[in-house]
Amino acid sequence: MTTTTEPRAAARVVDAVKVYGAGDTAVRALDGVGLAFPAGRFTAIMGPSGSGKSTLMHCAAGLDTLTSGTAWIGDTELGALDDRRLTLLRRDRVGFVFQAFNLVPTLTVAENITLPLDLAGRRGDREWIDALVDVVGLRDRLHHRPSELSGGQQQRVAVARAFAGRPDVVFADEPTGNLDSRSGGEVLGLLGRAVRQTERTVVMVTHDPVAAAHADEVVFLADGRLVDRMEAPTADKVLDRMKAFEVRS
Amino acid sequence: MNASLRLSLNSLRAHRRRFAGTFLAVFLGVAFLTGTLVMGDTLRASFGSMFGEATSGTDAVVRGADAITAPGEAQGVRRPVSISLVRSIERVPGVAAAAPQIQGAGQLVGADGEPVGGQGPPTLAGNWITDRDLNPYRIAEGRAPAGPGEVVVNRGAAAKGGLEIGDTTVLRTPDPVRVTVVGLATFGGQDGMAQVTFTGMTRADAEKYLTERPGQATSIQVRAADGVSQRELVRRLAPVLPKGVEAITGQQSARENTDMISSQFLTVFTAFLLVFSGVALLVATFSIHNTFAIVVAQRTRENALLRALGAARGQVTAAALAEAAVVALTASAAGLAGGTGVAAGLQALFPAIGFPFPEGALVIRTPSMVLPLAVGLVVCLGSALLPAVRAGRTAPLAALRETAVDTSGASRSRAITGTALAVLALTATLSGVLASPSLRLAGAGALLALAAFVVLGPVVATTAVRLLGGPLDRLRGVTGALARRNALRSPKRTAATASALMTGVAVVSLFTVFGASLKATMDQTVSRSFAGDVAVSTPSFGAGGSGLSPRLAPALARLPEVDTAVGLGKAVAEVDGAGRELTVTDPAALARAFDLGTVTGSLRGLGSDGLALTRTEADRQHLRPGDTARLTFTDGRTDTFTVRAVYGPSQLVGDYVITRSAWAPHRTQDSDRLIAVTFGRGVGAGAGEAAVKRAAARYGNPEVQTREEYARSSAGGIDMMLTLVYALLALAVVIALLGIANTLTLAVHERTRELGLLRAVGQTRAQLRAMVRWESVLVAAFGTVGGLGLGAFLGWALVKASDGVSDSAFVFALPPLRLTLVALVGLTAGVLAALRPARRAARLDVLRAVAAE
Repeated sequence: MTTTTEPRAAARVVDAVKVYGAGDTAVRALDGVGLAFPAGRFTAIMGPSGSGKSTLMHCAAGLDTLTSGTAWIGDTELGALDDRRLTLLRRDRVGFVFQAFNLVPTLTVAENITLPLDLAGRRGDREWIDALVDVVGLRDRLHHRPSELSGGQQQRVAVARAFAGRPDVVFADEPTGNLDSRSGGEVLGLLGRAVRQTERTVVMVTHDPVAAAHADEVVFLADGRLVDRMEAPTADKVLDRMKAFEVRS
Repeated sequence: MNASLRLSLNSLRAHRRRFAGTFLAVFLGVAFLTGTLVMGDTLRASFGSMFGEATSGTDAVVRGADAITAPGEAQGVRRPVSISLVRSIERVPGVAAAAPQIQGAGQLVGADGEPVGGQGPPTLAGNWITDRDLNPYRIAEGRAPAGPGEVVVNRGAAAKGGLEIGDTTVLRTPDPVRVTVVGLATFGGQDGMAQVTFTGMTRADAEKYLTERPGQATSIQVRAADGVSQRELVRRLAPVLPKGVEAITGQQSARENTDMISSQFLTVFTAFLLVFSGVALLVATFSIHNTFAIVVAQRTRENALLRALGAARGQVTAAALAEAAVVALTASAAGLAGGTGVAAGLQALFPAIGFPFPEGALVIRTPSMVLPLAVGLVVCLGSALLPAVRAGRTAPLAALRETAVDTSGASRSRAITGTALAVLALTATLSGVLASPSLRLAGAGALLALAAFVVLGPVVATTAVRLLGGPLDRLRGVTGALARRNALRSPKRTAATASALMTGVAVVSLFTVFGASLKATMDQTVSRSFAGDVAVSTPSFGAGGSGLSPRLAPALARLPEVDTAVGLGKAVAEVDGAGRELTVTDPAALARAFDLGTVTGSLRGLGSDGLALTRTEADRQHLRPGDTARLTFTDGRTDTFTVRAVYGPSQLVGDYVITRSAWAPHRTQDSDRLIAVTFGRGVGAGAGEAAVKRAAARYGNPEVQTREEYARSSAGGIDMMLTLVYALLALAVVIALLGIANTLTLAVHERTRELGLLRAVGQTRAQLRAMVRWESVLVAAFGTVGGLGLGAFLGWALVKASDGVSDSAFVFALPPLRLTLVALVGLTAGVLAALRPARRAARLDVLRAVAAE
């Protein structure tokens, strides 16, 4: 791992520890993880169930708080923020794509895309949003309700929303978990293109080696610890690495 | 335990909070009903025992046999009996004692110069009966009156007027009499006979001031010798009584008095309260129905699973109904306890506000417990029936689908049924108002209109919310848009929630419009028919007050500033067999101070056997000028009168007019109820009023008011009544508010994931609270606007139907200020209802919400 020439980190965690519960039933979901997500890169977080990958993402994104250690978005330390400022930070500097239920059912596609901007009372960059709509290929669906879209289309709307405010970093939590492989491929392709063509930063949690292969780098978690990283992943290499976990454990 | 029952109990335990609103709604309705019934019974029993105790020494009452009752009066007027009869009664074997009772109107003036009482209950004066057993009053302090001008006052009245033993004040009989208080009395152990004021004077004083001719008494109280029963006494008295005089037992007299008090006070009071508990329960019905509908919808999957596992439709329905029954039973039982507590509280509270509530244990009769319990059960189970049946119809396959909220809009059949109902309601109301005036038809139309509104609610909810919420998008941005669309999600639910508030607001608006119309009517009555410059009167209503001295009008007429001063006195007589109120006055001067419309015949030459009447009465009785009518007076004599004039309707003057000389031979205690005064040419309003005030001060200080002041004070009672109505109807609004809060809480629960998503992508807590709040306000606005419209329409129908049914012309008036206030209260209810659900929604943990299944 290079240290001096490392690009600026869009998000990072330092000595991250997250403990759920207390006493005998306490579970250390994160056990001293230190990790930076470089700007302009597509990073995938992988690991078996219970490895703490979702917890890591939630804490890094400001959806959850660490038991100890620090989480940063750019130069902002999340632990120092109250709920309101944390909300504003999520709204202005972070984008989200969840596994399911990404869209507000009462709002149209167009309204869902601009929701964070509208909540902030900002107009946003209309040209950028316009371009996004073309990239996700939903121009003819802008005035439809989410219930009128297929699952893949819904996730593409979610991706457009995540990027609408030009956030510092987009977190995606199993974005293809509920999709068939073709729709999943489209969504992953979109994420990848967004990073490479517009120099955005994406952090994605997944358990699917094919999905992870779309990333620039894969980091592996097991039992709440960072155990490995892999540059330029392919589905086969990732699968092999995952198999190694299973053998060892 | 049966499986259905176990299921419903478990589900109740798990979702206790969901039923909190339902519980409260049933509880409040039942508590109100119970409280009303228990208090009514207690009051009636207390009055009964109070009278029984006070008059226990009176075994028989001798009085005039016939009572003449004018329409709208609680009690008839009987002819007096001769005091000389006492002698012959005393000679009847078995009579221990007999004493005349002379009673009339006599209003005390308090230490502050203001009259005591007079706002409803009678203000009585009478002779202090020296036979201890025959006198219902007992001296509590001081002594009995012994000389001229000495009086005993019941303790309650003395306290209210700030009078103490040794004080000198004025008693309006209505001629002012200077009296000195020498004693305070109690009635049946209480400070008074409810709020009736009583002033006891010597018999000589009573004969002098309270009767027209000495030697007459209102009745004769008789006590039996030992061993003679009341019934036996009455039997023995009969032979000595002249024609037209009767004897009744003391028990019957006490019962009549109790009934009189009950009908005067209790009936109106309890009817009022019962109507409000009815409104409260009606409003509760909507809230309960809604809660169960939502709970059943949320449990679709669970019910489907049960069905898939082999539960029969009936079992699922029964489980849902059992849940409703448990809620109904616990809430009703709590309501029974609460209502009894309310009655006890009122019993304790009344004396504190100066109303002597007779002491005694609460009277709890079986019907007062069974009826509210049954009503609570029926309301709750009835409201839950439809949702329960729907639960039973759940298809087993629904277990596999996503839980769906019922977002269906209004069905075609609903729109058709609703429209048909609305047309029917409109037809009934309009024909009851315009074509053939009938309050019953208009009332049926009103009920149909309410039903039509409820059925049509979901049909119009979408359009209405869209319209009402239109400005929200622009004003509140995406928060407003989200609130509006959330309110639009389930038109049925929105409409049902709003229906509760709508009913409450409709009733409030109905009363507001009706009250304003009554006021406008009174105002118009006065400004149209009162042509005087000032009015002299003693504000009072019901049986209270003693009116104005008949010597005041002539005294005012003698003032140099005054042109005309015409007094209107009150008399009752039977006109061709029907009890009627007559106005006794100087008909020649009448037209100068009142606008009598077109007069056929002449008011000048009425003489002592002439009669004038309104055109409506003349038409009804088929009388024309020159015809004759037979008038029977309270002294039992019948005279033939000739109709000499017919005039236009006049509320102030009344339907029949006779002269003072015609009334003189029959009159009882003489008084005027109103004196209209016109000033001479060139006399300033201020100077004239001052002169009248100065002169009136010597006659018991009655009110001297300008025409505007008189109009306003005539309508003053309505405002008081409206205030009471508002206070009670606030309860209905509170129940509606609970309904909205409950629906919102359930909706928030349903939308957990969506709320989490909104928070995750940057909605602040304040924005989320605002979103819930605006949704609530929208639903409330829908209900409020509907209620205002319905209430105003029904108010209009009621006013117009009353106008058609009664002789008096009713004016319809819409009070914009008050209605705006009602609207604001409705919207505020929306804001308040959202407080808790909004707080709960804002507290949601973002992650848990996003991850929620």
